Amino acid sequence: MERFGRRAARVGAAGLAAALAIAGCSGQALEGNDSSTEGGQVTLKVNFWGDMGLDQLKAKYEADHPNVKIVLNSGEYNAQHEDLQKKLVAGSGAPDISAVDEGFIVQFRSQADQFVNLNDKGASSFESKYLPWKWQASQSTDGKQIGLGTDVGGLAMCYRTDLFKAAGLPTDRDAVSKLWPSWDQFIETGKTYTAKTGKKFVDSATNLFNPVLSQQPVGFYDQQETLQMEGGPKAGFDVAMKAIDAGLSANLASFQPNWDQGFTKDQFAVLACPAWMLGHIQKTAPNQAGKWDIAAIPGGGGNWGGSWWTIPKQGKNVDEAYKFVEWLVQPEQQIEVFKKVGNLPSQPELYQNKEILDFKKEFFTNAPTGQIFATTAANLKPQYLGKKNGPTRVAVENVINRVQQGQLKSADAWAEAVKEAEKASKS
Amino acid sequence: MSLTDVRAMRTEEPKHAPPPRAKFWLYRFDTKTVPYLLIAPFFILFAIFGLFPIIFNGVVALRHWRLDDPTLTGWAGMENFTKLASDTDFWDALVNTFGIFILSTVPQLLIALMLANLLNRKLRGATFWRIGVLLPYVTPVAASTLVFAVFFSRDYGMANWLLSLVGFGEEQPLDWRATTWSSWIAIATMVNWKWIGYNALLYLSAMQAIPKDVYEAAAVDGAGPWRQLWRITVPMIQPVVLFTVILSTIGGLQLFNEPMLFDENPALANGGYDHQWRTIAQLIYKVGWRDLNLGYAAAMSWALFLIILIVAAINALATRRLGGGK
Amino acid sequence: MSTRLLSRAPQDTPGTWKSYLGLFAILLVSAFPVYWMFVIATSTDDAVMKSPPSVIPGDQLMVNLREVFTLQDVYFTASLINSLIVALAVTASTLFFCSLAGFAFAKLRFKGNNVLMFIVILTLTVPNQLGVVALYILMGKLGWNGQLIAVIAPGLVSAFGVFYMRQFIGHAIPDELVEAARIDGALTLRIYWTVVVPAIRPALAVLGLLTFVATWNDFQWPLITLNGTDFPTSMVALSDLASGNYVIYRRVLAGAFVATVPLIVLLLIGGRQLVRGIMEGALK
Repeated sequence: MERFGRRAARVGAAGLAAALAIAGCSGQALEGNDSSTEGGQVTLKVNFWGDMGLDQLKAKYEADHPNVKIVLNSGEYNAQHEDLQKKLVAGSGAPDISAVDEGFIVQFRSQADQFVNLNDKGASSFESKYLPWKWQASQSTDGKQIGLGTDVGGLAMCYRTDLFKAAGLPTDRDAVSKLWPSWDQFIETGKTYTAKTGKKFVDSATNLFNPVLSQQPVGFYDQQETLQMEGGPKAGFDVAMKAIDAGLSANLASFQPNWDQGFTKDQFAVLACPAWMLGHIQKTAPNQAGKWDIAAIPGGGGNWGGSWWTIPKQGKNVDEAYKFVEWLVQPEQQIEVFKKVGNLPSQPELYQNKEILDFKKEFFTNAPTGQIFATTAANLKPQYLGKKNGPTRVAVENVINRVQQGQLKSADAWAEAVKEAEKASKS
Repeated sequence: MSLTDVRAMRTEEPKHAPPPRAKFWLYRFDTKTVPYLLIAPFFILFAIFGLFPIIFNGVVALRHWRLDDPTLTGWAGMENFTKLASDTDFWDALVNTFGIFILSTVPQLLIALMLANLLNRKLRGATFWRIGVLLPYVTPVAASTLVFAVFFSRDYGMANWLLSLVGFGEEQPLDWRATTWSSWIAIATMVNWKWIGYNALLYLSAMQAIPKDVYEAAAVDGAGPWRQLWRITVPMIQPVVLFTVILSTIGGLQLFNEPMLFDENPALANGGYDHQWRTIAQLIYKVGWRDLNLGYAAAMSWALFLIILIVAAINALATRRLGGGK
Repeated sequence: MSTRLLSRAPQDTPGTWKSYLGLFAILLVSAFPVYWMFVIATSTDDAVMKSPPSVIPGDQLMVNLREVFTLQDVYFTASLINSLIVALAVTASTLFFCSLAGFAFAKLRFKGNNVLMFIVILTLTVPNQLGVVALYILMGKLGWNGQLIAVIAPGLVSAFGVFYMRQFIGHAIPDELVEAARIDGALTLRIYWTVVVPAIRPALAVLGLLTFVATWNDFQWPLITLNGTDFPTSMVALSDLASGNYVIYRRVLAGAFVATVPLIVLLLIGGRQLVRGIMEGALK
């Protein structure tokens, strides 16, 4: 006991010295960590979620710019946006570059003074290259541009050819597209599949709700920031409920471990896929290459997701950050991201680009993803997404998930969804 | 050893003795002021990082304090508290907190009592057993909760596999996170697992302090081991039982880690899609750091504080009453 | 059961096979989650989804660990170092300041001794988690949010530590010893260093262990102030691992296991002291 005590005291004393020393060092590192500029060396921290296809681009950029080190930080979708908000208020700690999704862009563009006005850095020359609505969406009312568009989330429907075959359904992508011009027909197809195989058809009803919602002229909020549940949200919600009532949903909350397991265990046969979802599928189920294909989305068109690169003003290396962002949105890089993870650029010129039009995605049975998504993107009618779009979406998804868990009757669900959405709109 | 050190010092002292006057002041300083200097670091640091936040919390609760809209500031008066009174989220969270609290505290303390009773024997490897039951206590709660989160998963969880062994849920596996009671049980299981060993040691130490003749006197009445435990041991260790009840109340009503990490997506701080297991501490986190409404979160903290005080007082009274009745 | 057995106090009654069985069962339940964490940390994805579940470790530990440590989004290696820095700094500071104050309260005469000690005991009952909102604002004003100092500062002292040290010093050091040293002309700090510190090493070990364990495992406050920064503690990094867009159980639990190992080692080395510390805590 006594021996131990003495040793512990000595270890403790050494520990204190070491801890203070290390704390001292890291304290110094802290000062300039977000964007340190020691000896001309610049570190740029980039926050985003999921996979935005940056891994190889980072290496390439670092090779060309030996003084720049890029730190990629992919986090949880909601958390990244909330975190950015906290850091903006705190006045420090924000990344040098942050991706902002369409669901949160209105919230951040109303705080445009917290971001570098990219027009000041010469971004205005890009205006003509972008889809007009994409350019405008990240612009504040007084004309400050807080972000350069990355991708748009043109919609399609991904499906498992092997599972379709086993269920006696067509596997050719045109034939499959013809199965479901409308969402009702989509649900009928699902019923056929489920009756044949005894398996579930879709991963989760929330992944029907979101695409249907995005196809509507008005989303959760109108331009006056009034919650409009009876319009778009109701349409999406109805499709979701129909699918659950018909027993089509595997009830897997998306982007969660059980969802990932659902891929490998063939728990569903279709998945609504905006362009950026392709990357997720590849990454989550790498051994299903060649078993997926891409058909048209029921209802036609629609945009779900799509982001911007923004540069918080508090960063110490905003010029270097801008250089990197500008480089990222150049056609060459946009095409590479598209090929790698599927994110469709928001610059219409590229939709005519041969490299994109001729591109075939091996993983998805050589589907011509360029042609599929470029045609939908050209016809996109953007939806206004209110300041509270993020939390409102989470609230309604929660209600859908309750129905999926069998804890709420679908007949009562809509009233509950309205209630929860109203609560979220006031949170 | 230390004594000889001191004696050794004495021989040197006179040589370097300072002039009497200076020595007097030094002595005065050493006896009058130094004691306060020794306790000062505690009080200063506690005042800054312990006391001040709790008081300042009261100020924040009376103000608008939003991180998503820094322009909205100023006094809110009782606005946050009136909002609280009619906020179903808060009252639901309160019910959840109590439900989980009871499901975790009662079995936890009862099993800890049994375990202490087992440990309170002449055992081979007594130290080994005592150290062994502390394994859950040292395991980081974040780590163990993540294990339990997998353990209680719907499709491939071990809990459901165990249930299927006894023929339950073979058709439709139990979705632990879906219903209120199953999620409460899952979370209470995690809390119980972590704290039983710790409480058992507290009880054990109290049990070993019971004078042996108490048992010898009672043995004449022919009390069996079970009656011995309930009739003699438990009443004798009542102060420690009281202590653990208060500890569990304070801890249980602030429960955060387990419900937080049990969520499929912890970043949302949902506590279930119907918030059926969202505790108050978790709601405070959600309101403060997801909704970024710090003023309201502070009001909730104050309400929780009051509730803890009341419940701890009731518990203390009840436990004393129960013990005194026997 | 014979009456002869009952005439003894429980602690003199030898354990029966039943009591050993009971203890073994509880030990099994206590250890299983930690063991199973290890099993999944060594497994493939398929093994996680097996039914019946696998209970034998696989051979994928190094693969999973490499994934955890190279995951660029989570800073896992740094988080372990951060946890160590925080836990060591808090432990060292708690031991120093609490033994100083405990010594003063136990052995020095000064005005207000009892009142101030009563205040210390009172602060023991205040759940300081309740001040998190204001603490966050305070740290924001100090510019400390997101830095390790934000987690270290509130832990530098503990009321329990002062109380525990006062009790121990009161029992372990006779007043005469302190008086003798004083008559010899030793100043208070010298007495602390030469008389008190050598005598309270066991208590320092116990308090140090308790503090280290509690600090390493702390989750809520570090999550609030350190989440989304480059300086997570290992607990915050774990919650990151469990809430990204690609949550993989074997990877999450490999991380959890790594963050648990230091504490298991601590339990193996200092278990005896930890048991003693907790059991002494009960008798206050």
